[in-house]
Amino acid sequence: MSVRLTLKRVPALRVDLRGVAPAALQGLSTARIERLTVTHGMQTLALAEFFAVARDDADEAADELVFEGELARFDRIGWQLTDGRIVVEGSAGDYVGACMSGGEVHVRGSAGLLAACEMAGGKLRIDGDVGDYAASSLPGSMDGMRGGTLIVRGAAGDRFADRMRRGTAVVFDDVGDFLASRLVAGTIAIGGRAGAHIGYGMRRGSVVFVGAAPGVAPTFVPALGDASVAWQLLARDLASHGGPFAGLPARRIRRHLGDLSSDGKGELIAVL
Amino acid sequence: MTTPAPPNTPAGAAARASTSERPGTRPVSEARILNGVVIDDTFAEAFPMKATRILITAHNLTWARHAAVSATGFATSVIACGCEAGIEAEIGPDDTPDGRPGYSVLFFSMSGKELAKQIERRVGQCVLTCPTTAVFAGFPRTGNERAEGEVIGLGRNLRFFGDGWQISKVINGVRYWRIPVMDGEFVAQETTTLTKAVGGGNLLILATDTDAALLLAEAAVRAMRRLPNVVMPFPGGVVRSGSKVGSKYAALRASTNAAFCPGLYGLTADSEITPDVHCVLEIVIDGLTEADVGAAMLAGMRACIEIGADGGLRRISAGNYGGKLGPYLFHLHRLLDMQGGES
Repeated sequence: MSVRLTLKRVPALRVDLRGVAPAALQGLSTARIERLTVTHGMQTLALAEFFAVARDDADEAADELVFEGELARFDRIGWQLTDGRIVVEGSAGDYVGACMSGGEVHVRGSAGLLAACEMAGGKLRIDGDVGDYAASSLPGSMDGMRGGTLIVRGAAGDRFADRMRRGTAVVFDDVGDFLASRLVAGTIAIGGRAGAHIGYGMRRGSVVFVGAAPGVAPTFVPALGDASVAWQLLARDLASHGGPFAGLPARRIRRHLGDLSSDGKGELIAVL
Repeated sequence: MTTPAPPNTPAGAAARASTSERPGTRPVSEARILNGVVIDDTFAEAFPMKATRILITAHNLTWARHAAVSATGFATSVIACGCEAGIEAEIGPDDTPDGRPGYSVLFFSMSGKELAKQIERRVGQCVLTCPTTAVFAGFPRTGNERAEGEVIGLGRNLRFFGDGWQISKVINGVRYWRIPVMDGEFVAQETTTLTKAVGGGNLLILATDTDAALLLAEAAVRAMRRLPNVVMPFPGGVVRSGSKVGSKYAALRASTNAAFCPGLYGLTADSEITPDVHCVLEIVIDGLTEADVGAAMLAGMRACIEIGADGGLRRISAGNYGGKLGPYLFHLHRLLDMQGGES
């Protein structure tokens, strides 16, 4: 069963869409779906206030939930998603894919702040840009993204992958300042340029720069040892994302290790 | 190639022979004769084992081979080696996870626990130590290995050699360990998968002399090595000390296969030797499935039969332990029939 929610009007305040997920809509009639409640600022309103609901019960219909319209004021799309597929035919608000542990979210436009924060599994694709703190932690939490795959085909804001612990986060274009700050582990790949303070306080993990060579802080040291096996494993996986990452296995690398102010076992990999 | 032996050839004489005519020899009246070679109406008896496949890659094939040979050394028989192992095949750069050449290696043991111990020791001492190598699990991923309880450590415990400098890397759902070593880093996949397997398939090659027996055994092993999923764990794939189950000495689980020792012809009541046989060599085959072992035995038989009586081959037999060893029975005649080996 697939459900299509078409935006009727842009809300005046921010709308929290947590709980509107494919699994929650399974077996519900159109009327029941319309009566589901969401918060709009301090109000609790029916979903039908914002969306026209259409169901497709055809056997061949994919088990997915489609949002149609510009949803930049709709937050927490795909919040704690465990399975199923969500497609946003436009932009999404903050916290898209946050805390998801399975399934897939595909945003055809851009996304706001904190996309994929504390994501633990599944796949989040954003065709446009993401705001600050993507793949990072919820405010006050110690660990950021800890699994799954985040693919941003546009640019990303500041503090991308702050405190990230596991998983793969890929940005096709540029990223802002403090990329991979306090990174615990995981894999990050950047197709464009990165801002200032790359890897500030990173402990472990790999950050791959396919585009411009990164500015490396003095708390990183050049790596002299050969790491070609790990690079081939990583490069072959990243190459599957295409775009600037295609052909990575054939390219050589130069690595820096750090941040020595923290654990010092992270690596910045510049692709030559 | 597979015409019956004329009565004046040794094989033809063997075919006519019976226990009553020649005390101490087995009846061969039901034997089949192909290219002058008697194929005994008997079966090889094999037993269930646990197995795993690992891929060893290196900067070039030379170093991958050093590691593979070393890791599969002293792994001829579970009787005293803990496991049986061998190089299965050479793997090209296009078929390895890291794009480097390598070898696939099969390990077999009687239990998953023992196999886990052997893998850790052998990879730790022979692969980790070998310049430029990396090690990966060799079976395709099913995604459900942990639920099936069929996973053992590969780099899981070896990582502690890194003394805290080891790094875990999860790539596409697979965890690898990167252990700093003096030539760079040793990369090992965290786990490898076990599978049920079959050990102890065998062929006995009864020849006129040592030269002929070696030539025949080498040809058989070459033919078997072209097949996937099998290894011949003994030196060069060949064993001259075929054994029987049990011994007159209580402490021994196995002892020399007296029935096939030419030196005991006429001395033992159950000798399988005929006067024209002066050298017997055995090929032991471990495989991932019953079909794999059977296919390897057939390939070996065909290679030997092609050389035939003119090459000094008199008989092909198999280690039949009367059902004491294991549940898998590989009947030589049936193998030949199933694969159209009879003409």
